[in-house]
Amino acid sequence: MAKKSRSTIKILSIAVSLLLAVFILVQIICVVTHTTFSALITSISSKELQFAIELSLITSAISTLLCIIISIPSAYALARYDFVGKNLINTMLDAPLALPPLVAGVGLLILFGTTSFGKALAEVGIIFVFTPLGIIIAQFFVNVPFMFRIMRGTFQGINPRYEHVAKTLGCTDAKAFWRVTLPLAKNGLLAGSIITWSKGIGEFGGALMVAGATRMKTETLPISLYLNMSCGELNLAIAAATILIAISLSSLFIFEKYGGFARVF
Amino acid sequence: MEDLPGYFNMIKIENISKTLGEFFLKDVTLDIENGTYFMILGPTGAGKTILLESIAGIYYPDKGGIWMDGKDITNTPPKGRNISMVYQDYMLFPHLNVEKNIAFGMNIKKLPKKVIKEKVDTISQTLNIHHLLHRFPVTLSGGEKQRIAIARAMITEPKALLLDEPLSALDTQTRESLRYELKKIHSYSKITIVHVTHNFEEVFSLGDSVAVMNNGGIVQVGNPDEIFRRPNCEFIANFVAVENIFKGKSTVNEGISDIIIDGIKIVSTTCNSGYSVVSIRPEDILVSKNKIQSSARNSFNGKITDVIDKGAIVKIVADCGIPISAIITRRSFYDMELQEGMSAYFTFKASDVHFI
Repeated sequence: MAKKSRSTIKILSIAVSLLLAVFILVQIICVVTHTTFSALITSISSKELQFAIELSLITSAISTLLCIIISIPSAYALARYDFVGKNLINTMLDAPLALPPLVAGVGLLILFGTTSFGKALAEVGIIFVFTPLGIIIAQFFVNVPFMFRIMRGTFQGINPRYEHVAKTLGCTDAKAFWRVTLPLAKNGLLAGSIITWSKGIGEFGGALMVAGATRMKTETLPISLYLNMSCGELNLAIAAATILIAISLSSLFIFEKYGGFARVF
Repeated sequence: MEDLPGYFNMIKIENISKTLGEFFLKDVTLDIENGTYFMILGPTGAGKTILLESIAGIYYPDKGGIWMDGKDITNTPPKGRNISMVYQDYMLFPHLNVEKNIAFGMNIKKLPKKVIKEKVDTISQTLNIHHLLHRFPVTLSGGEKQRIAIARAMITEPKALLLDEPLSALDTQTRESLRYELKKIHSYSKITIVHVTHNFEEVFSLGDSVAVMNNGGIVQVGNPDEIFRRPNCEFIANFVAVENIFKGKSTVNEGISDIIIDGIKIVSTTCNSGYSVVSIRPEDILVSKNKIQSSARNSFNGKITDVIDKGAIVKIVADCGIPISAIITRRSFYDMELQEGMSAYFTFKASDVHFI
């Protein structure tokens, strides 16, 4: 009896996972086969999509760089040191993960659009509201927890004794980090950057709130998809979607290859 | 704290305490004279590694002070101490090949490339790892890794070398050859070595002095012989209860060694003359009530001082002029009807007497 019930579970569970995989695959196929190949090429070479691709690449590259610069020290601190308020900081740094990007966008909009802090920044020319800068800050805010978590996991996995040895061999704390810990964190850094960049390119809700959806101004790939979908330009919308799918899948592949040890959740 | 010019030739540790999670040091005071091979012996969790790391400057003590050659280094970062450290698990940098691992300290000090290369060549030849220079750590055996770790630590010509259980992760044969290597390094470099272990045999074969640690504190300091013969508390007595290790003077005659230990002569087939330490494994000793005729060259009569029941086996300790421990099966223990106070014969082959 026991043997039979176990095999039923086996068949059932495999069937469900198979169904799920098919469901996902069908969706992807639906998108990429919706138009002809030549229509896709025409759309991609259109001025509007060229702009969207360029803006997406630039904003996501900058926001990823910001995520790296901020995540490395904060992840290192939380992996290596014990200090008062550590748990609270850990929770706060994870919070944007649970927050809907749309809500994060509202928060950013209020911070930069209505407070005196935001107004002071605007006065010296740093304007986030309805500009590409807003896209960058939204991408950063929504994605920094991914980078942070991957780096924290990576640093926790590196034995602090490597640093100890480096220090007895003449390194300062900073040099030990630079010469030993950071090179050892290379895979985590690569995986984290790829996933952060890929999520940055796909960022929609937060960016929509802060930067708005203005054609040829704050039009990233996801915004372009949204704009063209709403006004019936299906070919352009599909082209944007196809590019996003290609980017997501290839970065997922790279992440799985190098970042297997540093899961996001 | 002030410098102590009077103590120019030693590492002086005074009353240091440090708590790190569940590990701690409590009021540790030690004088380690320059050039000594100093052993720190203690069970797991005794605080041995934190003590080494405090000497290296990885951690600063919560209270107390450390002086090196009379200079206060209590709060000096590791960089300013010139003390190297080798861990049990090697800690070779996995992203660097063997050559770059060994050269690490010199590269940090930005020495000329030519000097670095010469030094790496010399030390890697001394430690017999020259053929490994282009390999990466992940491809090496434990013994090779530990030699490289020692080379990396020695190449900066440190004032002291700290070894944290350097032999514990190795198999018996590798351990023995590396032990020999350490002895050699110490005798030609005259460097101060502080070597942490939980193995009393290592203390006997390497140490000039030994400090026994337990529960974060130092329990006894002395030379190994003293600690072994006159442990000052039951903890040490139990901990160093390595049976059948004897120190004596050995002379070689026609391929065999006669070792005189407290007036008693033990014969070994290994040739080794001069002051030596020998050991006999308790299970290699035959116990009988009457003298037996055999080819075994060592046979002693003694009074049984202790019978320790260990389940399937029984340990018999007897005073034969030197304390001898033997292990016999429960069955033969009952067959011979042995008891404390009885006299018995203890016989073992000359080939079972090992020099350590």
